[in-house]
Amino acid sequence: MFEKLKSLYPSLTDSDFDPIKGTITLQNDSDGKGDYIAKWEHPTLARPTDEELA
Amino acid sequence: MSLKLNTASGGSISLQETNTASNFTATLPAATGDVMVSGNMPAFSAYASANQNITSSTWTKVTFDTEEFDTNSNFASSRFTPTVAGYYQINGATNGGNSATMTRSMIQIYKNGGGYKYGADLSPTGSNGGTTVSSIVYLNGSTDYVEIYAFITGTTPSIFSNSSLVYFNGSMVRGA
Repeated sequence: MFEKLKSLYPSLTDSDFDPIKGTITLQNDSDGKGDYIAKWEHPTLARPTDEELA
Repeated sequence: MSLKLNTASGGSISLQETNTASNFTATLPAATGDVMVSGNMPAFSAYASANQNITSSTWTKVTFDTEEFDTNSNFASSRFTPTVAGYYQINGATNGGNSATMTRSMIQIYKNGGGYKYGADLSPTGSNGGTTVSSIVYLNGSTDYVEIYAFITGTTPSIFSNSSLVYFNGSMVRGA
């Protein structure tokens, strides 16, 4: 998911995913369902659709 | 038969040591029922015995696949769900020492599926990044549960497997 998002939005940097101050939170519950977006509060970029992430 | 000792306000009760070999044990109160004493306060400890590869910059539930003890059978699937309400000392540790490189390493206690208490926030320069978290958490004894999540920014991030570096344990410290 992390690499996919950086590919979709090349302007994203590690600071966007900062565990304290970041506007994007990725999560994996180790339940076999993989990574997912738990929080998307980026001020300018729209949350990608499932189709874009597929 | 039961024995009840009462004292008026300001008074005191003294217990004197026994003088025969057969009556050295005193249980006050018995470790049963709703009364929490050291003998029935839930406690558990588990660790990771296999490396866990994760995605960079992604909060990932840490898998603790080996139990050291679980006194009340409340630990399963890397999750502690006590069946006795109370306040619990919860500890966790992870180590990204299996990663190629790291620039960030963090740990967090999750309560009921959401982030709850952060631990140490490290900015390691190499491939070693052990971090710990410790907090007292109230758990209601039925639906509340806690888990440990790790966050690593780096290349091929991976959580080490080691009983003394990657662990999750806890114990009740006070009843509800």
